[in-house]
Amino acid sequence: MVFRPNEKTYVYVSNTGCPHVNGFKVDNWKQNLRVIYQCFVWSGSAETRKRKAKSCVCHMCGAHLNRLHSCLYCVFFGCFTKKHIHEHAKNKRHNLAIDLLYGGIYCFVCQDYIYDKDMEQIAKEEQRKAWKLQGVGEKYSSWEPTKRELELLRHNPKRRKMTTNCTIGLRGLINLGNTCFMNCIVQALTHTPLLRDFFLSDRHKCEMQSNSCLVCEMSQLFQEFYSGHRSPHIPFRLLHLVWTHARHLAGYEQQDAHEFLIAALDVLHRHCKGDDNGKKANNPNNCNCIIDQIFTGGLQSDVTCQVCHGVSTTIDPFWDISLDLPGSSTPFWPLSPGGDGSTLNGESHLSGATTLTDCLRRFTRPEHLGSGAKIKCSGCHSYQESTKQLTMKKLPIVACFHLKRFEHSAKLRRKIITYVSFPLELDMTPFMASSKENRMNGQYQQSVDVFNDNKYSLFAVVNHQGTLESGHYTTFIRQHMDQWFKCDDAIITKASNKDVLDSEG
Amino acid sequence: MSKDSKMRATINQKLTEMGERERLKELLRAKLTECGWRDQLKANCKDVIKEKGLEHVTVEDLVVEITPKGRVLVPDSVKKELLQRIRAFLAQHAT
Repeated sequence: MVFRPNEKTYVYVSNTGCPHVNGFKVDNWKQNLRVIYQCFVWSGSAETRKRKAKSCVCHMCGAHLNRLHSCLYCVFFGCFTKKHIHEHAKNKRHNLAIDLLYGGIYCFVCQDYIYDKDMEQIAKEEQRKAWKLQGVGEKYSSWEPTKRELELLRHNPKRRKMTTNCTIGLRGLINLGNTCFMNCIVQALTHTPLLRDFFLSDRHKCEMQSNSCLVCEMSQLFQEFYSGHRSPHIPFRLLHLVWTHARHLAGYEQQDAHEFLIAALDVLHRHCKGDDNGKKANNPNNCNCIIDQIFTGGLQSDVTCQVCHGVSTTIDPFWDISLDLPGSSTPFWPLSPGGDGSTLNGESHLSGATTLTDCLRRFTRPEHLGSGAKIKCSGCHSYQESTKQLTMKKLPIVACFHLKRFEHSAKLRRKIITYVSFPLELDMTPFMASSKENRMNGQYQQSVDVFNDNKYSLFAVVNHQGTLESGHYTTFIRQHMDQWFKCDDAIITKASNKDVLDSEG
Repeated sequence: MSKDSKMRATINQKLTEMGERERLKELLRAKLTECGWRDQLKANCKDVIKEKGLEHVTVEDLVVEITPKGRVLVPDSVKKELLQRIRAFLAQHAT
């Protein structure tokens, strides 16, 4: 039975798949099917793996490739490609077989794979069980609409198609009076893919009573950005909420975009829990809100006593890394040994131009704390001189780097305009705590785990033009793989890789 | 069975037993998605379905049409990386 609405996109297979499975669905068929999945398709335990390794070969030719299938009625394994399983099906009149690679059920009468709801259910459950046994947890599986969602889709037939060149999600923001510090960060956030996916799939369940939830407002903002409207959006509600929750940013004077970023992340993190703030609000280590999942990393601080060489380690959460620049009043010390040279990350080193990697190297260098700052050593039981070193313990999914261009010391307030070059792809491996340990243990080759590699792709750059007193913020954001756009309040223009990399950063 | 296929079978056995086969599959899956191979072939599949008609197309049609294309389109870098992984594994677990 096939149902085809006028949009020609959805086809529903009937509940029973094909009538030929009825011969199989007798007695204890469910349990038998489960056993087949557990032993021969998705072998989760070491025992089943061993058995699979030994027995899963074609009974006719001994090969293990060639799309091996197992008969559902008896213990027979046969190649699909070489038609060995077809022969068996014909000879024994066993009309069902299962693909040992993907778990699909093949009917020799229908001559195609069939999708029986009950059998699919069992397959899914067994697959999840196997993943759990392997310690993999939940893996990506494609979305299947629920009954309710199908209804909604039918009642709302308009569809938006994403092509490679579409510019959905790009929208200007009106400047409400020196609010470019907010606009620039909003542009970066609305183009953070994980955040966008979270909000567009309606994942926020608001627990706040009043109308002042910033997360709800963010959700609204995403709706506005992805609505397809081209006119610039006026973020007055957002601005009002920011003033309410982050008093120090209120007022019409120029504010610091980085401060806004941190304040915004903080308020979003607090509002994610709604009224159930309590202890979780101030303990990022325990929080599992979307902000923490995306932005929170762990910074390791090792303090080494110069006398007994005992190390005391602490790990603090962070949302961004603030980097000192050369030319500031804090000296830009010579770089520590162990760096991989200036060609790391492919940054250009034109006659001594500073790179982001330089700044990171400086950030993670061992720093001698001096006699004026002795630490109480628990090994020596006395105050000793020590060195302190910062490294990355846990990398966030989205890393924010802040170049400290604004200097507010007692003597002067100024902006450091030194050009810092940054790469499109950044490898954080040399700055990891584990890298440091490896170096200390004499290991130089690190095996790269494909799922946890420390590489980042640049997707947003916020720039400040002008001076400390009067300046303007703009943002470059990346869409798709390599299309850059410059967001200057209400004006969005196309930009090139070069524009982005040449910008001050 | 020829010597070659005997060796293949032994290697496969070892890989399956130690769970390395699953890990390699995941690595391959990730690499092929990353480089756009999956998306390209998905588009090809849609073409085949349009051509044969949604009502009549079978999995076998897709397998026959897509397999050769898929094999050819795997980037050399991915092949190299997987080969390296397998070699390293065998070196580690040589009997």
